[in-house]
Amino acid sequence: MQKDKVKIILGVIGADCHAVGNKILDHALTAAGFDVVNLGVLVPQKDFVNAAIETDAKAILVASLYGHGEIDCRGLRDMCREAGIGDILLYVGGNLVVGKTDFAAVEAKFKEMGYDRVYAPGTLPDKVIADLKHDLAQRGLLHG
Amino acid sequence: MELKNKKWTHDEFYAVRAEVLKQWPTGQDVDFDEAIKYHENIPANRQFAKRLVKAKQNGETLTQPRAGVALIDDHIELLNFLKKEGEADLLPTTIDSYTRQNQYKEAQHGIEESLRAGRSLLNGFPAVNHGVAGVRKVVENVDAPLQVRHGTPDARLLAEITLAGGFTSYEGGGISYNIPYAKSVSLEKTILDWQYCDRLVGIYAEHGIEINREPFGPLTGTLVPPSISHAVAIIEGILAAEQGVKNITLGYGQCGNLIQDVAAIKALEALAEEYFAKHGYTDCVLTTVFHQWMGGFPQDEAKAFAVISWGAAAAALAKATKVIVKTPHEALGIPTKEANAQGLRATKQMINMLRDQPFPLTKEVEAEIEIIKAETRCLLDKVFELGGGDYAVGTVRAFAAGVLDVPFAPSKFNLNKILPARDNNGAVRLFDVGNLPFTQDIIDFHRAKIEERGKAEGRSPSFQMVIDDIYAISNGRLVGRPR
Repeated sequence: MQKDKVKIILGVIGADCHAVGNKILDHALTAAGFDVVNLGVLVPQKDFVNAAIETDAKAILVASLYGHGEIDCRGLRDMCREAGIGDILLYVGGNLVVGKTDFAAVEAKFKEMGYDRVYAPGTLPDKVIADLKHDLAQRGLLHG
Repeated sequence: MELKNKKWTHDEFYAVRAEVLKQWPTGQDVDFDEAIKYHENIPANRQFAKRLVKAKQNGETLTQPRAGVALIDDHIELLNFLKKEGEADLLPTTIDSYTRQNQYKEAQHGIEESLRAGRSLLNGFPAVNHGVAGVRKVVENVDAPLQVRHGTPDARLLAEITLAGGFTSYEGGGISYNIPYAKSVSLEKTILDWQYCDRLVGIYAEHGIEINREPFGPLTGTLVPPSISHAVAIIEGILAAEQGVKNITLGYGQCGNLIQDVAAIKALEALAEEYFAKHGYTDCVLTTVFHQWMGGFPQDEAKAFAVISWGAAAAALAKATKVIVKTPHEALGIPTKEANAQGLRATKQMINMLRDQPFPLTKEVEAEIEIIKAETRCLLDKVFELGGGDYAVGTVRAFAAGVLDVPFAPSKFNLNKILPARDNNGAVRLFDVGNLPFTQDIIDFHRAKIEERGKAEGRSPSFQMVIDDIYAISNGRLVGRPR
């Protein structure tokens, strides 16, 4: 039933306008049974938080492809806390930093910033969907 | 101001200019008369337009990377490295994404963080913040023609500063820097803002300073059929010429099927000459740029070199005037300077090996040229008709009606109704033609091509086929066959 679908927020953060992966994730997540609130590209942090509050979303999926991820993604967890949704699932993925960097270091950096899962470039939607289902089920938020 | 494809008057331009130069404090340092004198002293070998004309005459294909970092000295070092170690013929300055969104405060923050971190936290060079003096420091320390490359819907102040700073080429356009680069900026606004940039270049031309202009050919870089990007390129070329631009480079992003790619450049040259002549823009020099594959890349560097080399081969065989080069780090984001130089060297080797091998105009190539021309004419002529004889007005109406439609674009002013997919030979066709004003013959041609592939793969064409094609090259092949 439509009303039982888990709402998730999807968007590309900051001044980034990479739209292709966003459209494919939207398609794949919708097909997997999620109610996707897709904010598209060029999304400020506060729009992610506001959308999550307005729709009672259970997860925010942030993408950054253009290299400014380090600056753009910092502080989103704090903003969620201040808005009263401090324990919402936060995922981030893409080309998160400028330059070819060891992914383990990038992952550690973004986990430190408060992201629950950090995805390397080239991750396919299936992996994200499986993780999302697992994490939501653990929190008792996924029905059926 | 009412949008129409008409050269701005002196009063129209200077009224807007006063506002533009106030958008950030560095705007106050722009002095046009002094900039003209500055350009008069730039040697010919650093002038973009002259270098392109020479290449066109000699049948050369020049190489050009993308590159830009936050700080001036690092940026100079990067460009000189790409010239020396990458043997690049032309050099860029890629502008960071905050500047592209006119977020100069954020760009300033990025400069400061980069200074603290000892590495660039910006994905390009924030030229507006560095101002005319900072830009000139780059221009004076790099011995090659320099172009501004970006993705800025409102690039007026950036144009004022970088051109006054001594850059001799400026990329972008009112469609190609809106539809793929913005979410909610109207086409009326971006076309007007780019008429301003073109008029500025036109005024430089009237003072004897030739600045090259380049509409951004590949658009979203994701399975864009040649006729769509050609129509946009030719419209932007005409809009630029109307404002007085005299040296224009039209672009195309590699699709991956060699016959289609060679045919695309041939068709683009012929159509542009035809439409420029038809509308009376006869004193404009036209050249072409071929972009190596703009979609997803393999992560494996050896595989990435194959993609780069295939783009280099197609550019050389198509005899494009220049090629924009990718790097083996493409799948992972912004490359190191070493990786950037490697992409350039691989490209140069391929171009040099192919420069004496003319690609035969086979009947397959000729047929492809004809189909691209026929499609592009359908689009251009409908835009002109919708605008009542005005390409600027027509473009706004055409996007609203889906007569122009760019696949996978973020802009809400793009209808997003068409869906591209590869045919059985890897050429990009349309699985759904949306509202494109094609003739029935052309619609049937696309349907037949997609059906042929579906049959070969034993599946009905669907969105899954499109997704498979988007990921195909990064997964090691051109056509996204079922796995």
